[in-house]
Amino acid sequence: MRRAIEHTSLKEMRTFVRVGALALGLFASCASTRQADLSALREGEHGFAVRCDKILTADDADHIYTNGLILVRGSKIAYVGPNREIPAGYRLLENTAGVAAPGMVDLHSHIHSGGFGDVNDMVTPVNPEFRAASALRPSNTAIKTACAGGVTTLYGIPGSGTSMGGFGLVYKTKTHATYDEAVMKSVGGMKIAQSYNPERGAGDLGQTRAGLSWILEDINEKAIGATRQGRTDRALENLQKIHTKELPVLIHCAGSDGFTAASRMWKEKYDTRCILSHGCFDAHATAKHIVAVGAPINAGPRMVDYFSTRDGRITGITAKYEAAGAENLSVCTDSPVMPQEELFLQGTMSARYGADSYNMLRATTIHPARAFGIDDRVGSIEVGKDADIVIRSGDPLDPRSRVELVLIDGEVQYDRRHDGQWF
Amino acid sequence: MVIMKRTFLFSALLATSASLTHSFASDSSFPTPTPPANAVPTRIAGELGGPGLAVKTRKALAVPLEGVQFVDNAVLLVKDGKIVGLGPAATTPIPSDFEVVDAGEQWIMPGMIDLHSHVGGTFDINEMVYLTNPGLRVSASVIPHNDTLKVTVASGVTTILFIPGSGVNVGGQGILMKIGLDRFEEALVRNPGSMKLAQAGNPEGWTVGIGRSFMNWNTRAMFSRGVLYAKKWDDFEKGQGSKPERNFDLDIFRELYSKRTQISTHTQIYQVVMTTLTMVKKQFGLDVYIDHGEMAGYKLAGFAKDLGVNAILGPRNVEVPTRQFINWTGSNPEGILGIAAEYQKRGMKMIGFNTDAPVIPAEELFLQASMAVRHGFDATNLESVRGLTIVPAVTSGIADRVGSLEVGKDADFVIMTGDPADPRTSVSRVFTNGKRIYDTAKDKRLF
Repeated sequence: MRRAIEHTSLKEMRTFVRVGALALGLFASCASTRQADLSALREGEHGFAVRCDKILTADDADHIYTNGLILVRGSKIAYVGPNREIPAGYRLLENTAGVAAPGMVDLHSHIHSGGFGDVNDMVTPVNPEFRAASALRPSNTAIKTACAGGVTTLYGIPGSGTSMGGFGLVYKTKTHATYDEAVMKSVGGMKIAQSYNPERGAGDLGQTRAGLSWILEDINEKAIGATRQGRTDRALENLQKIHTKELPVLIHCAGSDGFTAASRMWKEKYDTRCILSHGCFDAHATAKHIVAVGAPINAGPRMVDYFSTRDGRITGITAKYEAAGAENLSVCTDSPVMPQEELFLQGTMSARYGADSYNMLRATTIHPARAFGIDDRVGSIEVGKDADIVIRSGDPLDPRSRVELVLIDGEVQYDRRHDGQWF
Repeated sequence: MVIMKRTFLFSALLATSASLTHSFASDSSFPTPTPPANAVPTRIAGELGGPGLAVKTRKALAVPLEGVQFVDNAVLLVKDGKIVGLGPAATTPIPSDFEVVDAGEQWIMPGMIDLHSHVGGTFDINEMVYLTNPGLRVSASVIPHNDTLKVTVASGVTTILFIPGSGVNVGGQGILMKIGLDRFEEALVRNPGSMKLAQAGNPEGWTVGIGRSFMNWNTRAMFSRGVLYAKKWDDFEKGQGSKPERNFDLDIFRELYSKRTQISTHTQIYQVVMTTLTMVKKQFGLDVYIDHGEMAGYKLAGFAKDLGVNAILGPRNVEVPTRQFINWTGSNPEGILGIAAEYQKRGMKMIGFNTDAPVIPAEELFLQASMAVRHGFDATNLESVRGLTIVPAVTSGIADRVGSLEVGKDADFVIMTGDPADPRTSVSRVFTNGKRIYDTAKDKRLF
């Protein structure tokens, strides 16, 4: 379906999606193992009813409900669909007119420590022992602002100062939370920097692409060897999980050289759950190959290539990946390189430069969740998932739309009318 | 070293003065702005000397100061670089010799105007020998259609006020110029485009130890001399009093006194905006506009409106929470406030937007209006588009030529895929003086 819409106008596309949604609706509801729960709340349970002008669910069938209702039971979604009678016990939330969409997900974020600090340990080039979780300052100002911008789930990762920066954490952008309340996975996945930033100029190994590759392959083989021999190595235990596909790995790779090297090592050779992040400069030239080998792409922070043509002409990179048929294509901010709260604008600007506008809503919600393997909990408004819901005054990708209300795990974390506008 | 430099400058000034005195001896109306030289006639539709051009469009955002703001399914007629007609396609006949451009579902709007820009040429825009420099002209730095402006025009901006920086209180004279035209004479709209005044908040860096009191005294003293000088010339021209001695430093005040140009003011904090309004407008009666207006300056929006002082806002869109030990502006401790929305709430109608380029990239002027809407600015009646076009045109006194799609004005217009305040909209063609200066179908896409 996605491929078929490439050459149709936005309006036609939307109609097509809606028709498709109707056709698939029955199938989706049959296939879903999660049934809507319309029973009354029990004693001691809490729940919100959210009535909205429009609900963009970003589910598999792209359901869009006009005058819809969401029931939030505890921290999960119990019902989403057309407006109907609210079961007993639910409290109707105020200030929910507008457009509801899933909380946005960014797979490339460095604001967990509250700024630029504490994300790069650069003593040795490979650091499989390190965990970004130890740098988390829950509900710091940058996180709060992200929440007020409609971003609710972040993969907070080490920087790209070394080849293997360590392991990132997956957390929610709650505005008042302890570590346990905020963190989904303290070891969420690994961060790799394939080239450029980790290049070492101190005279040791790693000054060239060849050296950098050797450093990574060497440590990978050690981890694979440990698994094969049944050894437990504290330093390698998380890296072993990358090779047994328990954990995903996000790779900083830019330019066609970096994209190719990352895909050959992490997908074609080791077959990991890798996500290729950045993809700037001329990396889009390799889009067809990356899509063929099946590595999800996470584009940004730069959304345009004015590098490869060398004449000032700009090319939208997301549109190129979309045109190549990239599955689960997502965009990122690399915050604080781009402000975390401006994740939506990465989608908007991708649309300016040729990507499909509606697909960019997916690129900031369900696509990154699926690429990272956390779509059982976040990324769409569906029964059984975490109640991470953002209500805006209009289209989520239009900067003129204000974020009015943010729910995370079924709790109101930001309410513009009550808190004042933060972004 | 400094003394030597100043002496050298002084003698250079004297030399220039001597040579200029001669050439202007016969010109009683000096300094009249140079009239824009006509473009070289061509045979291209829409341009001077060429056949007429008709643009069919889904929606024309005409945005005149008063009256109907947009026309659906419209036709815009252009001849000799000027707009000669605009109306609904059904009732607007296209002359048979006009070349027709069918923009299909796309929209058109007037070329946008940025009244706070520093990217019109070389970047040497801060001459910091003296604290007030009314005689300096940034026109000496102009590079028409430089590389930055090429990207700027790709976003639909066609006119800028290129002004000196805010390193000192009076930085000199700005120039109103069009983008996309290669020759200075053709690009020039008005010189002096404004006199740049930086009331406070930057010029303090001129030396150690000066504050607002000294700066305001110094500026006020210079303005007093300037206005007095202009008045003497005015009296002389009316046949009263003797011929005053020429003072090249103060000649700009003759332009200001006779309302042929305005003062564009770097002014923002409450007290600073207050000084702009009371000193420049109330005391000296000169035409002035707010050309930043952020921080808590919005609290004076009602006062500014009553005095007829317009607000061209930016680059900052919001008043941010201040929780430091010293509460610098103290206006809003919790959320952020939309600056444009706050001016609007207090009755200000003439609200425009600027970028202070390169502080905000010149090509993101439209986004200044989008963000104003995000932060509460009511754009129900196309206020966001007006703030990018007719409001700055009226404010800078060039609305007879630009700022709206009206008969008789320059054919400066933009063809784009939809609403200009939505970043997903892209610009496909831009015309200045009826000349197609950017076209994504032919040129490389720049923004």
